Amino acid sequence: MLKARQNSTRMKSTDQTRIHIPISTAASMVGSYVRGRILEQIKSVAFIILYLLAFQLFVLGSTPSNALRVAAGLGLVILGLTFFLEGLILGLMPLGERVGVRLPRKCGIFLIVVFGLLLGLGSTYAEPAIATLSTAGSTVTAWGSPLLYRLLNDSPALLVASIALGVGVAVGVGMFRFYYGFSIKPFIFTLMPLLLGLSVYCALDANLRNILGLAWDAGAVTTGAVTVPLVLALGIGVSRASGKREDAAGGFGIIMLASAFPILGVMILGVALNPTTSRPMAETDFFAPEYRERALRLFPDESALLRHAFQHGSEAGRKAFFGGESSEYHAALRRLGRPEGRAMIPASMSAAEWLIRRASESERAFLTREVPGFASSPRETATAWASVLREEFASALLAVLPLTLLLAVVLFLFLRDRPRHVDEVVLGVGLALMGMTLLTMGIRTGLAPLGDEVGRPLPRVFRSVPREEGRIILEPFDPEQVLTGFTPEGRPHRFFYFTERGTTPRPVVFHPDQYDPETGRYEHVLERPPLFGPQLTLAGIAMVFLFAFGLGFGSTQAEPALSALGRTVEELTVGTIKRTGVVRAVSLGVGLGLMMGVARILYDIPIVWLLLPPYLLLLPLTYWSEEDFAGIAWDCGGVTTGGITVPLVLAMGLGIGGELNVTDGFGVLAMASAYPILTVLLFGMMVRARQRKGLQNVREEDGDE
Amino acid sequence: MSEPTLNFREVSRVTCMVHQPLGAKVTDCLVGMGAHTVLVENARAVRQHIRPRPWVFPGHSMEIHGTPVEVFRTTVPRESAEAVMRALIEVLDLERPGHGALYIQDLLEHSLLEPPVLRVQSEKEGLILRDLTLLTGILSQVGGGDALAKSALKLGACVPVITRGMGTGIRDQLGLLRITIPPEKEWVHLMLPAQDAVGIQRLLIEDARMDRAGGGFLYQTPVRAGVVDPLLRIGRQEHAASMEQVIAAMDELKCGTGWRKRYGDLEDPRNEKMRPFRRNHREITFICTEGRVDAFVRAAMRVGAGGATTARVRCLSESDFEGGIGARERGILCVPAGRADAVIEALYETEKQLEDTHCRIQVLDAPSVFSHQR
Repeated sequence: MLKARQNSTRMKSTDQTRIHIPISTAASMVGSYVRGRILEQIKSVAFIILYLLAFQLFVLGSTPSNALRVAAGLGLVILGLTFFLEGLILGLMPLGERVGVRLPRKCGIFLIVVFGLLLGLGSTYAEPAIATLSTAGSTVTAWGSPLLYRLLNDSPALLVASIALGVGVAVGVGMFRFYYGFSIKPFIFTLMPLLLGLSVYCALDANLRNILGLAWDAGAVTTGAVTVPLVLALGIGVSRASGKREDAAGGFGIIMLASAFPILGVMILGVALNPTTSRPMAETDFFAPEYRERALRLFPDESALLRHAFQHGSEAGRKAFFGGESSEYHAALRRLGRPEGRAMIPASMSAAEWLIRRASESERAFLTREVPGFASSPRETATAWASVLREEFASALLAVLPLTLLLAVVLFLFLRDRPRHVDEVVLGVGLALMGMTLLTMGIRTGLAPLGDEVGRPLPRVFRSVPREEGRIILEPFDPEQVLTGFTPEGRPHRFFYFTERGTTPRPVVFHPDQYDPETGRYEHVLERPPLFGPQLTLAGIAMVFLFAFGLGFGSTQAEPALSALGRTVEELTVGTIKRTGVVRAVSLGVGLGLMMGVARILYDIPIVWLLLPPYLLLLPLTYWSEEDFAGIAWDCGGVTTGGITVPLVLAMGLGIGGELNVTDGFGVLAMASAYPILTVLLFGMMVRARQRKGLQNVREEDGDE
Repeated sequence: MSEPTLNFREVSRVTCMVHQPLGAKVTDCLVGMGAHTVLVENARAVRQHIRPRPWVFPGHSMEIHGTPVEVFRTTVPRESAEAVMRALIEVLDLERPGHGALYIQDLLEHSLLEPPVLRVQSEKEGLILRDLTLLTGILSQVGGGDALAKSALKLGACVPVITRGMGTGIRDQLGLLRITIPPEKEWVHLMLPAQDAVGIQRLLIEDARMDRAGGGFLYQTPVRAGVVDPLLRIGRQEHAASMEQVIAAMDELKCGTGWRKRYGDLEDPRNEKMRPFRRNHREITFICTEGRVDAFVRAAMRVGAGGATTARVRCLSESDFEGGIGARERGILCVPAGRADAVIEALYETEKQLEDTHCRIQVLDAPSVFSHQR
């Protein structure tokens, strides 16, 4: 503590309430404070950054493209995390806690529940999970999963409303629980069997089966980086004000409810919409003109339907759209070369990528012949920094301000109270806003592209055959220069030397069918060989699992919401449960969960089979575990999938899913939520067992006496 | 409501620090007796944990091991205090090592509520130590409590119990620059034999490096009677009885802790080593509704208090729920006896000005106070 006597030498006190400190001393204090906080965040993100770089350099054998931009982005992630966490600790959490403590003083339970409902609804609209869910469902087709497609693309407002209502009800129920000091366990034992039973029911229906991943992922991603600490702090406040003995480490359990109710909401919405949604069908039947009227129920117009055919369908589907009229079909293909036709191709793909991934052999030949220069359409350029800043600031503003204002209005106007240090709260809100902007900018320009560069080409490590990566037209091509080589068996084969930019010439096999003698053009196909050779796919799959584990483990350690939760746990338990212990247990769980999620994509395991075992195991473990750890563990399941983990996981899931033509990328996040609960419950049991062990021994010795 | 008047009553504060799973028993017991204000705080008890080294490595490792504890405080009429204590010892089986510790301190309390009339009957006979002192350390950094606790364990003093608090006062006068100084404090509670308290206090100051700027604050308050937890060490035991068990048996045989006296010469105030200690202070505790603590601290500082350490506590007994809110804050000021009256008056004036503070002011002697001085 600073002593009054020190003031006379170093500081000058002008009145009793304010001590003025020389600028140099103040600068040194701020410098040391900022340095400490930044170092802490460097430590938290170091693992995931080094891990991704090492995987890219040493396993995939490539280097980060646009390294300067990625490095700047990573710097922003560190700065953003520092500011955001400090903003949470100084501003948002004290504000939430203060409202929580004062609310029971002025309001009855009805108003508290209504306030919780409003806060939950507001938080979902402020931090929309729909963007994440849309990315995970970007490969969903309207004919393969009509209900899922309808929820994501035709009725996203209904989907968001069901999630928002779920979170709202959850926060309301959470407040009710804290007010009366009820245990979290009855809620878990009621909700989880209900959700699992409903999942089994959905799994039996062809259409509902496809929305299971969406529902469980919605539960995982709905609790954002601002919502979690705010709701947690509010719950802690109400819990403390209620003065119930059961709430020794009160405040936990609300995030679990905010994850479970949205799952219920989405499943109920799915069940309600199912009777009026078509069944999954073949692609050609869906695009056929005779089905057009029903197909158009999912699309605003025919042009949107055709766009879907080009973006997600195959040649058969596109031909079926025109009812076998080849002239109209070819006219549509020609339109792709025009600027208005470019919209038919997914924005995330270049024309060349579309040719390789979506177009058939005949379409490729047609477009190369009829639309010259189509394949060389430029790739989408990186967004300018100013534009990224503008967009991310707008979303940060939406995420932070409405909730903060709601709490501030309730506190100042309704409860007639104020935070302990108003200036500190204002600074905290400002820091949270700035931190979130920098963090999301950094994720978008640094961490996500880095994850994308590793996640998307990941299938190379388990693929057993070479994969086409692109095509190059060699013109003019001289067939006279093609050489002949011989195999050990004496069989001849023809090859020529090809020199890529900046590399040494290498022999490539000559395919006579790719040479057009009339135009003198040779179409050279660029191929990526399998990383571990054709015989080593098992090793490759093991490598993918290892990557998934490391990705989950590393990214979770940097999650700000988890850091805030860990800090709260350590504070409430007076250090008997360390923040690092909780964070490690959760990270381990997310790593394991991602491995299971990857297994689902690789082996196409129905999601219900992956959800049932961990949750059925969790129920007895919850029964045996102590009240405080049950709440902490189930809350950890909700906080794991935040702003840092989600983009990385989606890049990996979509990379592998795209390679294996899996309908959607859902389910991975749900797994990343289930397993941390398991690991934290086990960690809690271990900690408590260790804490009791010594005391138990003494009791036994006493008994012997 | 009529205007309150400053009226001090002679009461006893019962503090019970128990292993967390036993917490429910304490609440039931105290509420069942009719105690109308039971304040609870989470804490950790620190012990030495000795275990074999992992794998094939020979020998044993010793580490500091924290177990969750709950600290219950209530005030009762002085005449009922020992009966309450005996009832709690019986209910909690406090004679067993590891269950916890309990002590009562006689103090003056100002409160709007009359002291409770307790329905307590206990014939429990057992060892109650009457020559104890409570040594309270306030450390400026989270984790700092462990250093002091480690030293206390090394000296074989007692099982330290650590709670968390916040520093208020000078820090709050720095404006926004205060965010650069962590407000968190660790509060270490040590129950020691009274005759050795000064000696152990001095050794702890040296060992835990509290004699440096920002090192913390360490003071004694008298204890009327108590039961200590002798389980200082968990793990491997090499003899028929542990040293703690031997000490507990000796305490019982000698009917007190007087036989443990080790630092006799330090008692003399003329001793050079005793110079940094300040005598004749008062520990002033105030308990109020959460959110009101700053007003009390500011008022106390205006009349000369150096600052306060506060902690959030929960009030469990529903009969004290006049405002329907159980969140309380407990603040502690340690001031020279000469300034105590002014501080108490300032606290009382603040109580009169504010609504629903549910304020209690408790005053206790603090005969030996140490903090770093330049």
